[in-house]
Amino acid sequence: VRCQHYPPLRALQASAALRRASDGHQKEPLTSSSQQHFDSPPAAHQPEQEPQAPRPSYTGQGGQESEDYESEEQLQHRILTAALEFVPEHGWTAEAIAEGAKTLGLSVAAAGMFHSDGSELILHFVSECNAKLSQLLEKEQKLVQLGEAEKKPIDEFLRDAVEARLRMLIPYIEKWPQALSILLLPRNIPSSLNLLTSMIDDIWHYAGDQSTDFNWYTRRAVLTGIYNTTELVMMQDSSPGFEDTWRFLENRVADAMAMSNTASQVQSTGEAVVQGLMGAAVTVSNAETSRAVR
Amino acid sequence: RCRWRCRALLSRPAGALRAHRGLAAGPEMHFGFQTVTEEERREKIYQVFESVAKKYDVMNDSMTLGIHRVWKDILMHKMNPSPGTLLLDVAGGTGDIAFRFINYVRSVRERQLQRKLRHHQNLSWQEIFESYQKDNLNSLGDSQVVVCDINREMLKVGKQKAQHLGYTEGLSWVLGNAEELPFDDDKFDVYTIAFGIRNVTRIDLALQEAYRVLKPGGRFLCLEFSHVSNPLLSRLYDLYSFQVIPVLGEVIAGDWKSYQYLVESIRRFPPQEELKAMIEDAGFFKVDYENLNFGIVAIHSGFKL
Repeated sequence: VRCQHYPPLRALQASAALRRASDGHQKEPLTSSSQQHFDSPPAAHQPEQEPQAPRPSYTGQGGQESEDYESEEQLQHRILTAALEFVPEHGWTAEAIAEGAKTLGLSVAAAGMFHSDGSELILHFVSECNAKLSQLLEKEQKLVQLGEAEKKPIDEFLRDAVEARLRMLIPYIEKWPQALSILLLPRNIPSSLNLLTSMIDDIWHYAGDQSTDFNWYTRRAVLTGIYNTTELVMMQDSSPGFEDTWRFLENRVADAMAMSNTASQVQSTGEAVVQGLMGAAVTVSNAETSRAVR
Repeated sequence: RCRWRCRALLSRPAGALRAHRGLAAGPEMHFGFQTVTEEERREKIYQVFESVAKKYDVMNDSMTLGIHRVWKDILMHKMNPSPGTLLLDVAGGTGDIAFRFINYVRSVRERQLQRKLRHHQNLSWQEIFESYQKDNLNSLGDSQVVVCDINREMLKVGKQKAQHLGYTEGLSWVLGNAEELPFDDDKFDVYTIAFGIRNVTRIDLALQEAYRVLKPGGRFLCLEFSHVSNPLLSRLYDLYSFQVIPVLGEVIAGDWKSYQYLVESIRRFPPQEELKAMIEDAGFFKVDYENLNFGIVAIHSGFKL
């Protein structure tokens, strides 16, 4: 029986090693957006810090300026980020995390804070990539709103978004199959599925109100299918610059668009198919009963 | 002595807390179910281990039916040390944890070397041979374990065992008190204390010392008998502990009293949550525990962050 306990009001005293690591960054002026109050509900998980805020300072409960407090989650975040550069050599393992901890001046035993199969490292990487994608899409949207760029047609938009996201895998492409298999472990499926669906939803959100005949679930399913299949193709792609993958992606997106045009046809066809199936079921059951009677 | 024990038994719940927390008030401490002063306690515990040292391993095997080996293996897996780790094993007397550590690190290192070789597919035979030789001298990958114990007899047994089993490199044996370690600050990657913290007279001092000698990011691991919450199991466990173990002690080691002390000291030891709070008080973060065998044994872990 494992017992986890999140101490509500404890913050990390910046030990010598931690302070040393953060001395490189400039001291940030206190802004209201980076204020965190330690009497926030203890169960609240520390939100993932965006990469733009390297070392935010917090005010204590009295509102006075306090020393650099960093929570455990933030330190873990930093260790995982540092560990990413060792992934091409060591894979998505506790060894990579240990090396990452070493670069921050911590003991290699700090890797014990994470699960020994490296799943937290992978999930961290995936959520970082998703965050980067969101930023990218937001920037593009701003440009469109300011009138400095053309609004892309829906198929081009989806293609570019998926391509941008998949390109983030390129530095780690050799070890990515290993990562995928770890993400498919039953223990990790809830988190990895969560990250995947939120990314897909994000892309659709920025795709905007384009007229398609998809409803919400179909859109999610279609894009998830495109993304997953393209990712798998990318794993086995050896063409220069992954051009085979991008061509595959283009075709899948085109398929999806074509499908939407025939969506209404599919619906009526679907009804016909269902009726056919029902008829088949009735026939089979009749045949069974008549055989039994005989 | 029977009177002491009966009285202590009756007032055990409150008495345990009082004896434990009353360190500031007076030097009254528990030795099993007896009440003694701090100095007396240290003396008595020293004597206990002095007399059991030679039969320590045999007794462990017979008392726990060999399960203690599994517990120690689980501890090692939880630690998952990588080559280059510096381990301090406190109260590590006969070296069980130290030997396991060396085995573990050695096998990890072998796998590392194999992986490296596989990547060197394009090198010539000469180069592969040279790199293999260079790495071969480093079969432990610079890992080291320091075994520290307060009891000379236990260390002696440990050293003999090491020689007998063929452990030559990466081991050091140091005589020292867990409450006042003879090491500098920020030295070790991992600090373990397996079935030893129960015998420390001032647990808070030992935890503070552990915090001191660990590097930032270092890990504290404690394997110890703990509290069984399941009532049925708890009764069976009590039965076994108080009826069988001292008898085994008499038959195998010729020492009833030491094993009576052992069993009583387990009952007097703080339960999981209390020990966790003490570890947090010493300054460790991400403290949590894992029960083995429904709480008969627990592994507490904390990090110096």
